Amino acid sequence: MNEITHAVIRMKAGVLAFVFALLGGFSLFIMTVLLLLKGGQNVGYHLNLLSNFYWGYEVTWFGSIVGFFYGALTGWAIGWIIGVIYNFIVTSRNPQS
Amino acid sequence: MFNGIEKNTPDSNIIIGAGPAGLTAGYELSKLGQKSTILEADKLVGGISRTVNYNGYRFDIGGHRFFSKVPYVNELWNEILDGQFLERSRLSRIHYHNHFFDYPLKISNALVGLGPVESFLVGLSYAKSKFSPTDEEKTFEQWISNRFGTRLFNIFFKNYTEKVWGIPCNEISADWAAQRIKNLSLSEAIRNAFVSNGTTKSGEKITSLIDKFHYPNLGPGMMWEACEGILNDFGSPTLKQQFVNRIFHKNGRVSHILTKNTRNEATEYSGSNFISTMPLKELIFSLDPAPPDEILKAAKLLRYRDYLTVVLMIDRPHVFPDNWIYIHTPEVKMGRIQNYKNWSPDMVPDSSKTSLGLEYFLWEKDEEWTWEDSRLIELGINECAALNLIQKNEVLEGTVVRMKKAYPVYDSNYHHCVELLRQYMGTFENLQTIGRNGLHRYNNQDHSMLTGVYAARNTEQLEYDVWAVNTEQEYHETDKATAKTGDRLVPTKIPEETPADGFNLEKKLKEQLKLIDSFAMGSAVGLVSGFLLFFATILLIIKSGQQNNPTLALLSNFLPGYKDTLPGALIGLFEVGIGSFSIAYLISSLMNWTFTLYLSIIKRNSEIEENKTILDKV
Ligand SMILES: Cc1cc2nc3c(=O)[nH]c(=O)nc-3n(C[C@H](O)[C@H](O)[C@H](O)COP(=O)(O)OP(=O)(O)OC[C@H]3O[C@@H](n4cnc5c(N)ncnc54)[C@H](O)[C@@H]3O)c2cc1C
Repeated sequence: MNEITHAVIRMKAGVLAFVFALLGGFSLFIMTVLLLLKGGQNVGYHLNLLSNFYWGYEVTWFGSIVGFFYGALTGWAIGWIIGVIYNFIVTSRNPQS
Repeated sequence: MFNGIEKNTPDSNIIIGAGPAGLTAGYELSKLGQKSTILEADKLVGGISRTVNYNGYRFDIGGHRFFSKVPYVNELWNEILDGQFLERSRLSRIHYHNHFFDYPLKISNALVGLGPVESFLVGLSYAKSKFSPTDEEKTFEQWISNRFGTRLFNIFFKNYTEKVWGIPCNEISADWAAQRIKNLSLSEAIRNAFVSNGTTKSGEKITSLIDKFHYPNLGPGMMWEACEGILNDFGSPTLKQQFVNRIFHKNGRVSHILTKNTRNEATEYSGSNFISTMPLKELIFSLDPAPPDEILKAAKLLRYRDYLTVVLMIDRPHVFPDNWIYIHTPEVKMGRIQNYKNWSPDMVPDSSKTSLGLEYFLWEKDEEWTWEDSRLIELGINECAALNLIQKNEVLEGTVVRMKKAYPVYDSNYHHCVELLRQYMGTFENLQTIGRNGLHRYNNQDHSMLTGVYAARNTEQLEYDVWAVNTEQEYHETDKATAKTGDRLVPTKIPEETPADGFNLEKKLKEQLKLIDSFAMGSAVGLVSGFLLFFATILLIIKSGQQNNPTLALLSNFLPGYKDTLPGALIGLFEVGIGSFSIAYLISSLMNWTFTLYLSIIKRNSEIEENKTILDKV
């Protein structure tokens, strides 16, 4: 392959946090809604375990909204921390760039 | 001592030369409400962009396509000619050993034309260039041979380039060819990779110089004759056969100039602003008092390639369909043949006849330059017949036009010399040098015109840098105009001990190709995932105060040794950390690899496309 020199990308921690927040929020929301639609006995037994971490969350219609916020918050935090750590490592590995 | 007529022009602007630059300067001055006097050495206006009329047959010096990326120039062209342009499709093939080859080059067509044996040898030499290219890429020859193979280089690049420039290809720097792909826009290339309907971002149809161009129906001279007429009506006359040979100055200001006409009569013109388009070298030598020795020496070192065209009138309605043909056949001296009728049907007085312009690129010291016209016409007829383009008895008549200083030469001295002259010219308050030879720059009409526009505006105390025109690329990068570059590629000698520059495309790719640092991404994701599990486990332990909480226990199915205990949490941290690191590392590497591969393909394709049209810039 024709070799091409390149620069290393820097993350915008805020943007990454936002994307992760959307992903986290919607994932939990959709997962909860899907389980509710599926119905049956003992709806969302496993997902309900998240209430250990997310106070007020449960597999109900209201819980799906609460879950959206928790998911978004967690996603935001994860995205932001990944961005910050990634940039920190990139900077320490390429001090002059 | 001056004994001639004295003319105190009513206006204060004197323009030397009625080529595109000089006439545009006059035109722009008229827009500013200022009158001027244009002094032209020749009996025709238009300079190198003139159209000569010989018994009703019209022809250019070469062929002049009208194409510009400068909106103001397009506006001026349309204004002067009132939009009377023809839009022409371009056809210009390569003639080599009795075969015509498509241009831009197409491999399949080239192979058919070359025949099975030559094609096989071309294939071998191409394969050799791919498997064992020359390590060194200092010369034009090495650069092209490494990309196309030596045989294709000899057929499609060597002869024509050497005919035009008179320099052996192994003495021309590789930068010359590399420059071709310097200004490619990567974003355009990517866009073109997806959208192939030939439109711009705004949806307009792309009219590239490659396949279409504009042309006044009576040749480029029509533009400049129209401009002369408009200026004359305005009160800015063009005085012909007035050769400026002395420019008098004092304390950084030119006071007056002296011209001589064909009868050697002198006339003096005074004014307060002087704009010159005469060759920089001649301008320096006309200054009175003479500039310092160092400046005279620099001017003396400037060189020019000269050009002559033999025009043959042929008693046949159609000779070939091309606008022009590149003549690669080494046995003949001519470099190109123009078929003016194919530029515009109005270039011939009788549609049953054809006029062909055979182009010869020479140095003034070459013996052909001094040949009688009849001998040159005979050479032209013999060469055309040898190329099987015409029968000798079809030639009705012929004529010759010589154009001295058609191409400013960029040799190893020119850059330093032009820089010195530029600084020296900066010491004059009311004398500006502009245009192609005035700046010693390989400009097309549009950029020559733009220097005229700037010079005119400068008379109103505005500060346009005429030297910056057509150096935009460099201008922005260095914040300073240099004497380099132009519209076309001008070969330079190989620099001593300097390897060929990297291409700008490479730089552009470098700027745009920002890859993910896989290690950093792996580490960040690994750390975050590991600690997330760790803190979640600890939280559960604290919260429930008991162990064997089912919430995360299931994870032990995937993470051996993980439990909701403190040591278990540490094991989880380690295992999830390593696992996530590996996955993130792998995904980012894969993304990087795909992206790099994709850009490499685009880069390669762009290079191939550009190289196919390299003759356009010679
Ligand atoms: C073979 C060839 C093909 C070309 N093809 C194209 C093309 O396709 N498209 C394009 O846009 N451009 C093309 N060009 C470039 C174009 O011809 C020039 O850019 C343009 O003519 C330059 O204009 P100018 O006014 O700066 O100089 P010139 O055209 O050189 O005009 C200078 C004028 O000054 C006069 N002069 C010189 N010295 C004196 C003096 N001492 N006293 C009085 N008058 C003087 C000359 O007689 C001349 O009329 C081509 C050039 C060549 C050689």
